[in-house]
Amino acid sequence: MESLLQHLDRFSELLAVSRTAHVRTWDPVTVRRALQWARYLRHIHRRFGRHGPIRTALERRLHNQWRQEGGFGRGPVPGLANFQALGHCDVLLSLRLLENQALGDAARHHLVQQLFPGPGVPDADEETLQESLARLARCGSAVHMLRFNGYRKNLNLQEDSLMKTQADLLLERLQEVGTAEAEGPARFLSSLWERLPQNNFLKVIAVALLQPPLSPRPQEESEPSIHKTPGEGSQALVHWLLGNSEVFAAFCRALPAGLLTLVTSRHPALSPVYLGLLTDWGQRLHYDLQKGIWVGTESQDVPWEELHNRFQSLCQAPPPLKDKVLTALETCKAQDGDFEVPGLSIWTDLLLALRSGAFRKRQVLGLSPGLSSV
Amino acid sequence: MAQDSVDLSCDYQFWMQKLSVWDQASTLGTQQDTCVHLARFQEFLRKMYEALKEMDSNTIFERFPTIDQLLAKACWNPFILAYDESQKILIWCLCCLINKEPQNSRQSKLNSWVQGVLSHILSALRFDKEVALFTQGLGYAPIDYYPGLLKNMVLSLASELRENHLNGFNTQRRMTPERLASLSRVCVPLITLPDVDPLVEALLVCHGHEPQEILQPEFFEAVNEAILLKKISLPMSAVVCLWLRHLPSLEKAMLHLFEKLISSERNCLRRIECFIKDSSLPQAACHPAIFRVVDEMFRCALLETDGAPEIIATIQVFTQCFLEALEKENKQLRFALKTYFPYTSPSLAMVLLQDPQDVPRGCWLQTLKHISELLREAVEDQTHGSRGGPLESWFLFIHFGGWAEMVAEQLLRSAAEPPAALLWLLAFYYSPHDGRQQRAQTMMAYVVAPCRRGDLQPCGQRHSPAPPRWPETGHHM
Repeated sequence: MESLLQHLDRFSELLAVSRTAHVRTWDPVTVRRALQWARYLRHIHRRFGRHGPIRTALERRLHNQWRQEGGFGRGPVPGLANFQALGHCDVLLSLRLLENQALGDAARHHLVQQLFPGPGVPDADEETLQESLARLARCGSAVHMLRFNGYRKNLNLQEDSLMKTQADLLLERLQEVGTAEAEGPARFLSSLWERLPQNNFLKVIAVALLQPPLSPRPQEESEPSIHKTPGEGSQALVHWLLGNSEVFAAFCRALPAGLLTLVTSRHPALSPVYLGLLTDWGQRLHYDLQKGIWVGTESQDVPWEELHNRFQSLCQAPPPLKDKVLTALETCKAQDGDFEVPGLSIWTDLLLALRSGAFRKRQVLGLSPGLSSV
Repeated sequence: MAQDSVDLSCDYQFWMQKLSVWDQASTLGTQQDTCVHLARFQEFLRKMYEALKEMDSNTIFERFPTIDQLLAKACWNPFILAYDESQKILIWCLCCLINKEPQNSRQSKLNSWVQGVLSHILSALRFDKEVALFTQGLGYAPIDYYPGLLKNMVLSLASELRENHLNGFNTQRRMTPERLASLSRVCVPLITLPDVDPLVEALLVCHGHEPQEILQPEFFEAVNEAILLKKISLPMSAVVCLWLRHLPSLEKAMLHLFEKLISSERNCLRRIECFIKDSSLPQAACHPAIFRVVDEMFRCALLETDGAPEIIATIQVFTQCFLEALEKENKQLRFALKTYFPYTSPSLAMVLLQDPQDVPRGCWLQTLKHISELLREAVEDQTHGSRGGPLESWFLFIHFGGWAEMVAEQLLRSAAEPPAALLWLLAFYYSPHDGRQQRAQTMMAYVVAPCRRGDLQPCGQRHSPAPPRWPETGHHM
């Protein structure tokens, strides 16, 4: 077991070096050995996929390495992060070496020979490295072509394939990190927030929160030994959002009303905070007598339309949320003085607008103009 | 070998030009042209590789000075990279360009360049910067998530197609014809990639709402080819849709079957049955439109081959398989018999389509007499105005080998005077074209020479006795 872990450590070092100019010193023997190590680890992945204890030990080692190397922070691009990655560590190594122009002539020639030996008898047991690489090239072209010739961004973000893929990856990482240490996810998410383009990140979080519970991945050929409680990743996300008000404010500002309504319906813990934010935003607006509309004082204040939009969306949500929202609005209205006349309390005006909007909608849909529940 | 080398040079010029025109295959025209030539280009690449692997780098450049341009252009065309094994063969060709021991900096630079191109092929052409940053930030490499991404995109497109198919009236979300056509073109190189199967299936089954066909013919051809070569496995419903939407594909499938039957050495019935079942045609023929086309092609084959017994045997086995498949079909979705045999009287069709084995022995004579009567009526009734006359009825009759066999057995078994109806049936089966008088004579011949009845001994097989003679008069059906 110890030798296996050492092997893993050495290979990770190798993987890190493979990107650097240091490969200039590599000769064909080094290349061959590196590829052999990779092949060995791939074999390990196959053999111990089902073996709980060994797999756990490897996972833990990899995770620690990954974290130290900078998986969390601003470090260099990390190497193997989990057991899954062992399954194609040879491809990873090959690609890194191929990308590295510092490779010497002899080493390069040997590498190419090893990777692409030419037509031959296919291995019945497992896919050869050559096949894996060819398949990756083919898959990449497929994605490229579909992306530019058929794909259209889905307006419902949670159904968009690019978004879903990113969300799946995020949830997977969160589960791994959460298993390794209790405080892991929060720190991890914070580090991501600082490093990654924030707008995209927020959208991915929203989509992740709307995914159906993760089932164990089909290519995992094993009993789930450590983790895989569905929903753990989502819980970590909710927890983190609730603990970071600045992030949550940005979250609520950046995302469309409909998406936020779906997220809050699905994760009721978020609704009080969301409503709190909305009330804060509402309170910042004042009534402009001349123009006859509610306006903000500063440019970053949320305008009336957007506020109305969000409340309208929330009122179309299923019961528990919808009732909470209406109660909140009524409460605010009462606190303000319970006016019925427009222009005095924003809450009155909002409720009026929501009611008439609902009424108009029922008319348009041909429903009876009965007592709406709004 | 010298001739091969000249051929290769010619081909080289041809493909060099093509690749220059195609560039990155970003327009409709270049995409279509690329799709049509994908298979041939791959063959060319194979031939190139065979030639290149025997030479060293310097010799290669002497022979083909612009080889680097040719290969590079191919690598920048995503359709070529996506097709079958082209990416692999391209890689092998590129590897041949590497100098084992570079003598000067130019050769070294070339090696570097090759490495760069190889890396490009494998770097899974990136697009969205944000997506790339995000995945990298999480510590994932493309190999980790590209298969998942492809799966998500395929499923998403497939469900969009289904929705488009079902929600005819919601014009907001309708898929534009251009997008559909584009999607079908893009699938052409990807047909044999299993991950793309759901999309191919959805394209075939969901036909949207335009009155004319939108999908590109190259797409149908590519799918059909893959089906015939067993490189893709699609549900039966998708195959039926393909053959209904694109007639040439159905015809090609039939021709493929004929070729298999012809090229195989000695065809026993078991093997014919295997080939036929394997082709999925009997199942597909449960749809009357497909049955009509298949039947028509059988008719043509009979004509072309002057009534070859192999064709007749094939027709009989096919009909058997077809009836079995029909039996398994959902009863509610079954078409009326008339739709399969529109030019036949319903009573005749119904009687013939029974399974002879279902008829109890005691009723054989009665049933056969009935068939004989109906057929005779169809044949001799000149005023009927139905198609074809006697040969049409004969073509119908020979579909069902079981009845002729039964006639023979009945005649042999009974010691009594053979009924005229049965004799007529037998005479008709063998010589559909005889006039009344001639047939009457033939019938007499059967009665008068009882020892000749030995010829009618059915072989221990499940098909008609001896093959019927084709009329020598040049009448057409």
